[in-house]
Amino acid sequence: MPRRALIPALTLLLLLPLVPSPALAHGFGQSYDLPLPLWLYLFGAGAVVLASFIPISLFADKGKTTRDAPYRYPRFDLLWIRLTRAVLTGRIMLLGLRLLSVGLFLLVVLTGLFGRQGADSNFAPTFVWILFWVGLGFFTAFVGNIWPLVNPWKVLFEWAETFVHRLRSGSSIELGEPYPASWGIWPAVALYAIFVWVENIFSGSPIPFNISVLALSYSVLTWGGMAVYGKETWLRRGEVFSVFFGLLARFAPTEVRVKNPRFCRQCSDDCRAAGKECVNCYECFERAAPEDREINVRPPAAGLARPEPIPPGGVFFVILVLAGLAFDGLLETPLWTQFRIATSIPQTLGLVLAPLVFLAAYLGFVKLSQLFGGGTARLAPLAAAYVYSLVPIAIAYQVAHYYTLLLIQGQGVIRHVSDPFGWGWDLFGAAGYTIEPGIIGAAFVWYSQVALIVGGHVVAVYIAHLIALRQYEVKGRALRSQIPMLALMILYTISSLWIISQPLILEENAAPAQGDASSEPTPPENLREPPMPDPR
Amino acid sequence: MKHYRILIVTALVLLGLGALFLALRPELTATTDEPREQVYDIEIEDDAMSPVEVGVGQGDQVTLRFTSDAPVEVHLHGYDLEEEVEPGEETELSFEAELSGQFEIENHETEAALGALLVEPR
Repeated sequence: MPRRALIPALTLLLLLPLVPSPALAHGFGQSYDLPLPLWLYLFGAGAVVLASFIPISLFADKGKTTRDAPYRYPRFDLLWIRLTRAVLTGRIMLLGLRLLSVGLFLLVVLTGLFGRQGADSNFAPTFVWILFWVGLGFFTAFVGNIWPLVNPWKVLFEWAETFVHRLRSGSSIELGEPYPASWGIWPAVALYAIFVWVENIFSGSPIPFNISVLALSYSVLTWGGMAVYGKETWLRRGEVFSVFFGLLARFAPTEVRVKNPRFCRQCSDDCRAAGKECVNCYECFERAAPEDREINVRPPAAGLARPEPIPPGGVFFVILVLAGLAFDGLLETPLWTQFRIATSIPQTLGLVLAPLVFLAAYLGFVKLSQLFGGGTARLAPLAAAYVYSLVPIAIAYQVAHYYTLLLIQGQGVIRHVSDPFGWGWDLFGAAGYTIEPGIIGAAFVWYSQVALIVGGHVVAVYIAHLIALRQYEVKGRALRSQIPMLALMILYTISSLWIISQPLILEENAAPAQGDASSEPTPPENLREPPMPDPR
Repeated sequence: MKHYRILIVTALVLLGLGALFLALRPELTATTDEPREQVYDIEIEDDAMSPVEVGVGQGDQVTLRFTSDAPVEVHLHGYDLEEEVEPGEETELSFEAELSGQFEIENHETEAALGALLVEPR
């Protein structure tokens, strides 16, 4: 087989196990959140508009913009302090984390293949869907990106490389095929789309065996990509989790940075293209000498406003993340159910349409922004420049939507660690642990959700303004260009609020396959009613 | 100058938010303020509850009286309560609704959702 055909072939292999199987696809990872009450939804919508004035007020003055000034933010190097340096760079610590990560990866694969197959009696579903996907995402956004350190595919590939190198010095398992520049991060975009489909539509997603097969197929694809195009190139362009966590890491209050430009000469990417700085380029960070490394604390979200070149597919990746999250919530709303019953549109088509609708809205508003701002700015670079400003909205929605799931259903892992295969083991004496569902009250959940979503919006508006200052010569123009962007963000944010204000749809009643459901779609008004009077 | 402006705007926005909150927030001294006893008769037919949703307030003493057209093991999520319901018999599920939130009621064997219990916070 010619090498070039290898990747499409591996992609096909990845898709093979996805033929839907009869599933007990119910209730895995369900949260107990009550829908936001109408008054709180209205308050949230008002708050979004009002709170927008805070970031705007920062920019409402005249004069020249900071167009040509380098982008700076305050930062503090954690490697200056002995204690944090010992923790962050200790060899035993780092090796321990890698071993733990590889161990967890193997445990997921083994429990999936050989353990009991109930979603609730096996380690794999809770770990993958709640702790890894939701939990590590939160950690990356609010603490920092440890994925490049612990990524089990990367770690195992490196171990194999070292082994081969020791066996026959000079030989490598990388073929070093040139990666077509026009592909950009499109492979990661395609894989993310598949991932969102598996997560939200594939009814077999909570079944341990399927998780295992998917993880193994993805391993073959990832190692194949690394072997053909080189490890660093594939991690940057095709390994979807690296790309996703890398996106969240731009929001994070920490960054890694390389001071000395000499380490970046061999970079597989031109990491110093952005403001002559090497920030969050994990490849160069690993290569750099210890005294040239920095691990900085910085203001949250500051990384989103860095003037970075966006690779091909980069804009669509962010839009896909945003649309994927919204679609996940939308699937559970009565409106979508009624729409599906009326049009008998398959869920998968909805997943294809959602990002296209989001993309059209984004490009439309960027076009308006271009018109409002005037001047010579072109559409495509503008659309690329602003795209990271949407990230805070996506993160705020993700946290509001999922944090109760992590805190409540995530507790399940305590039990599963003691009995990972569901074989009746009790390794740590916690196999009988029952989930404590009452740790957060519904009222607190409501207020925190509204606060998170409004907060994410304010940050997004602020970041978009910072970016605008680089696009225009005078501040007046930059400010005017932000009117449509503000409208777009208010639109996105209010739809986030709307989704969490929608009542739960019971899957069985919602399925159009059941004859009586189509004649009697659940009217949303009924579900919104306050506690009913005693029927006696 | 710039700092004063943002402080003033932030203060005004917070004032506006406070006013909006007070204007929209429903009266808390409604009749449902005191926890009370709530009894519901629920019929299960073709793996669906009627009524499909039961709404109570936090702290209420709730009794769900199930009748069913087929034998079913009713499972209330979150509270983690289970009861066998046989056709032709009335089976009661009694508990104090101390957890607020939205909890699915399912058929434990088929794991099909029958309906839901909504507990509004107090």
